[in-house]
Amino acid sequence: MSLDLQSVSYAYPGTGHGVQDISLQVNSGELVAVIGPSGSGKSTLLKLVSGLTTGHSGSILLDGQDLTHLPVHQRNMGMVFQNYALFPHLTVAQNVAYGLKLRKVGLSERMARATELLKLVGLDGYDTRNVAKLSGGQQQRVALARALAIDPKALLLDEPLSALDASIRGQLRDQIKTIQRRFNATTLLVTHDQEEALTMADRVAVMQDGKVLQFDTPQGVYESPNSKAVADFVGLSTTLEATVSGVDVIDIGFCTLRANTRGRPIGTRLFALMRPEHFQVDPAEGSVNRLQGAITVERYLGSMFRYDFQVPGAPQQFLVESRQRAIGALAIPPEHVHLLDH
Amino acid sequence: MIRSISVVYGIYLLLPIALLVVGSTGNSWTNTLLPTGLTSRWYVDLWQDPSFRRAFTTSLIVAASACVINALIAVPLAYSLYHGASRRGSIAAKIVSAMPIAVPTITLGFGYIIVFNTDTAPWLGTLPLLIVAHAVHTLPYLTNTLLTDLRHLGLERLENAAATLGASTWNQFTSIVVPNLRQSLISGLVMVAAISIGEFGLSNLLTSFQNRTYPVVLLQAFYGATGFACAATVVLLVLACTSAFTASTVAKKS
Repeated sequence: MSLDLQSVSYAYPGTGHGVQDISLQVNSGELVAVIGPSGSGKSTLLKLVSGLTTGHSGSILLDGQDLTHLPVHQRNMGMVFQNYALFPHLTVAQNVAYGLKLRKVGLSERMARATELLKLVGLDGYDTRNVAKLSGGQQQRVALARALAIDPKALLLDEPLSALDASIRGQLRDQIKTIQRRFNATTLLVTHDQEEALTMADRVAVMQDGKVLQFDTPQGVYESPNSKAVADFVGLSTTLEATVSGVDVIDIGFCTLRANTRGRPIGTRLFALMRPEHFQVDPAEGSVNRLQGAITVERYLGSMFRYDFQVPGAPQQFLVESRQRAIGALAIPPEHVHLLDH
Repeated sequence: MIRSISVVYGIYLLLPIALLVVGSTGNSWTNTLLPTGLTSRWYVDLWQDPSFRRAFTTSLIVAASACVINALIAVPLAYSLYHGASRRGSIAAKIVSAMPIAVPTITLGFGYIIVFNTDTAPWLGTLPLLIVAHAVHTLPYLTNTLLTDLRHLGLERLENAAATLGASTWNQFTSIVVPNLRQSLISGLVMVAAISIGEFGLSNLLTSFQNRTYPVVLLQAFYGATGFACAATVVLLVLACTSAFTASTVAKKS
């Protein structure tokens, strides 16, 4: 089952907000995460795919079938919501079996299926519990079991972990990923949490202002962002305005750096992106791209230090992560200076 | 200070009720502060009076019928108002909420008299018309109760979840909306029953001699013996109190 979005556009009536010309393909069994700041249109996109919002242009194809005119209840897509949306008047197992009941599956069969799915999400023996008495993490696992029970053609996850405590989030993230793999479920995940997206997704679509800025693997969006906006949203970085001043040389105002300029003409204005983990600490005198300065703010994160490093004359500080603190100098290898045109 | 005000207000509220109970068990009550003698004959008289028994039955039939009609109308009405209100402002919802206050029963009653006293619709004085009038009069109360609950529950997210699981609009309504509204539906219906049983103005205008409701007959009792009138009122009071108590118990549970 593949999910194919072709030039999908939608604007909320009376406002200019919505999504514009979105084209994405989620291959069978693939998990695609859509990330972006709030208001970027990612939730709208998910609502359009689920059918909860209608009236878009372009087409949304599920396994080749155009969903545009299919009402939400006929799309057969399992959805997990941020606020769980469990039915308070039903028990845990009845919640899971709800979709099967609508499909006229017999009582004993659907309850057996519910029990089986609850076991799978780690809620063995919770069948007759009241959903309101469960913790957030447990409720979301019930919601996942409920979405999987209908044997969905695609799984839609709308900020599924946002309402949970950080301690549970990591654990449930892995569990969702494992189950998604096991079911080989074609999945679209919407989240504002980039770590969630990078760890769970096979591919990530970064959205801003209703448009997809980049659609690539997690490594792709992190290592080779195609714009400053993507770089700023995904991961931590130092981004400086720069001008190409020679072959494989850029001028960042207060000094020049070696970087692969890929044949850009001299005078081209661009941005130089540096990830914090790529800096070398206290390199030998004469190293390439050596920057002298001092630490201004330091944060101990256990496995490493994260600190701001001020180079005299620099308009902003460099964000660095390393095992040891730099005493007086940093170096950034030329292959780790990413040049972005916009 | 607050305590004493509460006590005074409590006495003001309970004294007439206490006097009614005392009066209903007193043998004779003329020109004295309290009745003299103790008797149960007023209740026996009341039980043996066919017009009161008949009126009591009529009241129960009218109240029960109003409940059934209201349950059938108010749930879909409140549901559509809830959904409509989010789209087109809440004017319709406001009209429904304000109706019981804005339209006095006497206005409603006169309207019925004018419309149903004609050759084309000669139904004034019939039981069905009385039932319909009670249903119309009490409908806003039930609708309001349901609307409040709908807003409180935020059912839209549950409906969305149900829709993605394959529930059509009708399925969402029957399997999600109605079950989640059952508490407020029950407490609202008890309120409808209580209002209907105690309703006087509308019933007095619309009933014929054949199907007078209890409060209408009760008025007649005050032309007779005081003890009898007290006993008849106590019966109505017990019925109303039971309804109110049931409603508040159900409301507490939800």
